[in-house]
Amino acid sequence: MARTVVELRGCTREYGSVRAVEALDLAVLEGEFLSLLGPSGCGKTTTLNLIAGFVEPTAGRIVIDGEDVTGRPPHLRGLGVVFQSYALFPHLTVFENVAFGLRERRVAGAEIARRVTEALTLVRLEGRERQRPAQLSGGMQQRVALARALVYRPRVLLLDEPLAALDKRLREEMRDELRAIQRSVGITTVFVTHDQAEALGLSDRIAVMRGGRIEQLGAPREIYGRPATRFVADFIGASTMLRGRAVSGELVAVGGGVTLRVAAGRALTRGAEVELAIRPERVRLATESGDNVVEAEIDALVYQGAQTEVTAKLADGQRVRVFVTEPAPVPLAPGQRVRLHLAADAFMVIG
Amino acid sequence: MKLLLLPALAVLAVFAAALTALFRWSLLEFVPGSLAPGAYTLANFKGVVAPQYLHAVWDTVILAALTTVLTLAASYPVAYALARTPSRRVRSALLVLTLAPFFTGAIVRTYAWVLVLGNTVITWPVPMLFTERGVLVGLIHFSMPTMILILAAALSHIDPAYERAAASLGARPVRVFWRVTLPLSMPGIVSGGLIVFAWTLSAFPTPELLGGGKVKMIANVVKDLGLDSFNWPGAAAFAMLALALTLALLAGAGRLAGGRVT
Amino acid sequence: MILRLAVLALLAFMTLPTVVVIAVSFNPTAILSFPPAGFSWRWYVNVLTYPQFQRAAWNSLVVTGGAVALALPIGTLAALALERARLPGRSLWAAALLSPLVVPGVAAGLGFLILAAALGLLRSRLVLIAAHVTLVLPFVVRSVWVSVRNLDPALERAAASLGASPRRVFFRVTLPLLRPGLFAALLFAVVVSVNEFVVSLFISNRVTEILPVAMFTYVVNYTDPTIAALSSLFIAATFLVIWLADHFLDLGRVFLQH
Repeated sequence: MARTVVELRGCTREYGSVRAVEALDLAVLEGEFLSLLGPSGCGKTTTLNLIAGFVEPTAGRIVIDGEDVTGRPPHLRGLGVVFQSYALFPHLTVFENVAFGLRERRVAGAEIARRVTEALTLVRLEGRERQRPAQLSGGMQQRVALARALVYRPRVLLLDEPLAALDKRLREEMRDELRAIQRSVGITTVFVTHDQAEALGLSDRIAVMRGGRIEQLGAPREIYGRPATRFVADFIGASTMLRGRAVSGELVAVGGGVTLRVAAGRALTRGAEVELAIRPERVRLATESGDNVVEAEIDALVYQGAQTEVTAKLADGQRVRVFVTEPAPVPLAPGQRVRLHLAADAFMVIG
Repeated sequence: MKLLLLPALAVLAVFAAALTALFRWSLLEFVPGSLAPGAYTLANFKGVVAPQYLHAVWDTVILAALTTVLTLAASYPVAYALARTPSRRVRSALLVLTLAPFFTGAIVRTYAWVLVLGNTVITWPVPMLFTERGVLVGLIHFSMPTMILILAAALSHIDPAYERAAASLGARPVRVFWRVTLPLSMPGIVSGGLIVFAWTLSAFPTPELLGGGKVKMIANVVKDLGLDSFNWPGAAAFAMLALALTLALLAGAGRLAGGRVT
Repeated sequence: MILRLAVLALLAFMTLPTVVVIAVSFNPTAILSFPPAGFSWRWYVNVLTYPQFQRAAWNSLVVTGGAVALALPIGTLAALALERARLPGRSLWAAALLSPLVVPGVAAGLGFLILAAALGLLRSRLVLIAAHVTLVLPFVVRSVWVSVRNLDPALERAAASLGASPRRVFFRVTLPLLRPGLFAALLFAVVVSVNEFVVSLFISNRVTEILPVAMFTYVVNYTDPTIAALSSLFIAATFLVIWLADHFLDLGRVFLQH
């Protein structure tokens, strides 16, 4: 059973009449990489600030390593923080930036030099000790910020959208490096991002947040494959939402005379209103009618290079999104009638 | 479009003419008892370094230096509060209090100190009015608004993320100030210091009213020579001295602040 | 904590003189005492009825009015030129226009005095107005320039594309959008001119002197609280003006550029 290193118990943070975070409960396990994922305003950064101590909760407690640190100022919490803007001290060299935390801890000079070199080697920036932050590229600055936060071996690493300022290629490169470093050091990490691809690729667990609350907490595959709410289904990947009524334990009537078989791992309540989600990549073009094959008319096409995103309209007007891998098996055009196969086990039952 | 500058340039020309007249007369010979000058000479500048006047110049430099240092110390806390306070109301209140003296005028401000320092409000243990102490107090009070604004502008340009980063790395608030905030505000400190020093060198109403004739700074000498003795050439020489010192200092300040001074 | 206490103490230091002046202005007797031994408006009456002050107030009105009336348009045009014209050495022109700020008052004052004497204009308010214009212009240029810099040229181009002639664009689009800068410029110009002392001391005489100079002459010769009353009026007017400016302009943005 993994040990809990960071715990938020019933934390609420208000700004006037706005609740940035509401009755939040979160437990971060030792050594795990946990992402806080959500749109802007969902409270993920506030949560990070609560853990770091930059902001105090209006209610609730924050516990780190078994100690209640609520009310304790940031410089006494023993954490490492990487800021979105990196916040590297412009008037200090790379060496002095990384050494900063060690100096505050009264570490001896020779030891400081050794550990700074070790940290810079870890982030692959050896030899740049004498340079100033302004002389480094964005990617390099980010690595210095990481080294600075890790060099004194804090108990938790907090990262506030550290990759947001980098261009796409650099971001992907840094993503891999970040994960590798975190694994090799084994430090408990909380990572804030609005980029779901990032969260899915980096995390051991993801907390999807909205309106100051956690909508779902789980491993990436679970979040993607079994979204608990409509919001999660919408936010992670793309989904088609279909509304219908269950006519039996596994059959749903979605209107326009169409009935679909759903094998989502649990029986449905007969007569209940159901919301179904299905990922566009699980919908296939079919040539013949059959089980779970529906007729639809193509409404719109968006060519995306490796695939074309097709939006097709069902008999009752509900729309289905389909990713068709290019080159497409049949020529596609707006207004064309197609058959779509919606596999029974591809459905996610929401709510 | 460029022609729109012409009227302003005309105004500048008038100003330049006044300064040229000043420069020219600093090189003319003073004929006592008449306003008409004599021939070209350097005698006026030699007069500047004559013992009785050298004393005034030296006093001016010392007073300006003391004023600068003490104003810096007094202004920094107010500037810090002004730059960092989250509440718009507090910021407005601080700004109004800081700017009000600016807009009230030199005579009003200086006269107020005449009252305070003159044993009407408090009986001072040592005489304050008509002494260098009193002039110093007046000068500090005079310079604080300027210094506060310059420092506040410099501080508000420092990203609060730096201070948070330092705290997250284990530095307690005093250390954060000493290791991060203060060094990063150094350009503001230097340019503010130079500006206050330059302005104080040419201060006039404060030493005139609070000095009561006993404390003379360069500007007072200019007035004495120019308006009381009608020695325009002599006064002009001193005025040129003040001008030269001011220009040199402000040029230094401009270069250090990268041209973003106020 | 300590910072708050220090700030309060310093603010007290900064406002102490003001408080004392206002208190003294209501003192019933000519012998100054604090706290005042009573309450009287007599010094205010004295201020308003003293002929030299009345003349000086009129002079201030004329000089400041004239200076501002000239400096505002001149400065606005200059600000537009500085920002929009293709100027080689733009920063040098800007520095030149702002240079009067840098010259010591006694130097400018004496220079103007000498110049006026050479032109035979010693007893004229014209010299005062001219001097005030040169002293006030930098403030006007700086304030309006900030506004011009924030003015999106696309707005004027849009107006032109809709059929407005350059003159119409200027009066219907440009000027109205420059309002904050113009207001700030007016404010600075009036305040600087009304309070201008050092230069005016050199170039005015008993007939032409403006209020601050008249006050100075009075203070040097008499010790009664009349000047306290006049100062209090100044202070009240200043606070009102600043409060208005902050209310409409958010001075925090003008001075601190967050």
